[in-house]
Amino acid sequence: MDIDDLLAEVTADAVPQQQRDLQELTRAWIAERVAPELLPYPAELMERVLERIRRQIELVEDQTGNLDPKANFKLIIIQTELERFKFLVRSFLRARIKKIDTHPLHLLALHQNPPSSTSILNPLLSPSELQYLNTHQSLLSTHYSSSFLSQFPNSLQRLDDTAGGISMVDKPDEETAVFVRCLRDVGEVWVEGTDNRFQMKRGDVWVVRWSAVRGWVGEGSCELI
Amino acid sequence: MYGETGNKLVQHAKRTQALAHLPPYQTEMVRAVTREVRDLDKDVATILEPFAGSFDPSSEPATACALLVNHLCMRRNKRCLLAYHRTRTDKLEEMCWGGIDVLERQGQQQQGNKTTGGEATGGMGQDGNSSSLSPEEEEYVRQYSDLLAAYKGQWTDIDLTGSLEPPKDLFIDVRVLKDAGEIQTEYGAITLTKNSQFYVRQGDVERLIAQGYLQRLS
Repeated sequence: MDIDDLLAEVTADAVPQQQRDLQELTRAWIAERVAPELLPYPAELMERVLERIRRQIELVEDQTGNLDPKANFKLIIIQTELERFKFLVRSFLRARIKKIDTHPLHLLALHQNPPSSTSILNPLLSPSELQYLNTHQSLLSTHYSSSFLSQFPNSLQRLDDTAGGISMVDKPDEETAVFVRCLRDVGEVWVEGTDNRFQMKRGDVWVVRWSAVRGWVGEGSCELI
Repeated sequence: MYGETGNKLVQHAKRTQALAHLPPYQTEMVRAVTREVRDLDKDVATILEPFAGSFDPSSEPATACALLVNHLCMRRNKRCLLAYHRTRTDKLEEMCWGGIDVLERQGQQQQGNKTTGGEATGGMGQDGNSSSLSPEEEEYVRQYSDLLAAYKGQWTDIDLTGSLEPPKDLFIDVRVLKDAGEIQTEYGAITLTKNSQFYVRQGDVERLIAQGYLQRLS
């Protein structure tokens, strides 16, 4: 640990919670849009952000009657900021829904049997997302079966068949390349299946396979850009 | 036979992806593919019948090959059907998210077809049922809208179906394309009459822009 790390820690504590939340939200938003697979749902962060949005909306509603030009100007700034926050949250949630829609069965299996590396604190899906996924999936399978699947031979009616060497359950491509920036010294990274080994240092930007850096991103040592 | 109709169906689905609207549901083709699968399944059963459950692929390579082809074709057809339906439902979901009332639009289209069909005395060769959705799909849209509304309802402050463009200005210039009546904003009521122009808060009019009542001026 050198002086830079110490400084970084000190400054991190000095930044108020609100600003750190914004940074975290932006980071989560970018990561979710770039990463090929769904990332764990940041429940606590979302709770704080939503709570703050709700308070700001109340404040705006309270103050609208105020005709003082100064207050009015302040209100416009708050509203602009509010719109930006809403956009971040909206885009973040929509990115997640899109991934949930693309790989429903895969995600459901992952959610129910999470790999040991993910923490128990943050499950993959939020309760409402899980509900959405389940309902959507049952809607789809009802639709398929009423459209044609019910007339198929019994052995072919499943939607998660793995017979014949091909699994019907689609998975996201975990080998796609992503851009990462290192926030801390990571050390040596090894890309599975190749002989590529390299050192990732703080401040570096790399293009790497997602599967190789997934762990570091989840832990917060790297951010996706 | 052997996946030809399925292939057509997939090509149809591919075309659908590029279209803005949803082309009519290919009931005939879907039925043909389903029939093919059932026929193939019957074939398999007939081939296997004389062996009475003790079929050894290595001693009868020719029969084994026929069985394999049949099996692969059935699976392929199933995939084709799934892909076709999924493409269409994806399209329908997209419309639901975009705030387009699919069923209502279908109704209008149907009515439009009826009136023109009456004048041209059915010259278009359309049968009475000209909705481009199958009944199953209509049901699906209805339930999906409910699901979407339920999910959206948990995020009332955010308005999930709102614009996905990053907001730049709080206020924007809009021109009214169609009479939209009076709307309530924080700064009082505005009456939106055709061809008038306003400087309003984006959040207040986003819905109306999406519905085509207003046009955004840059």
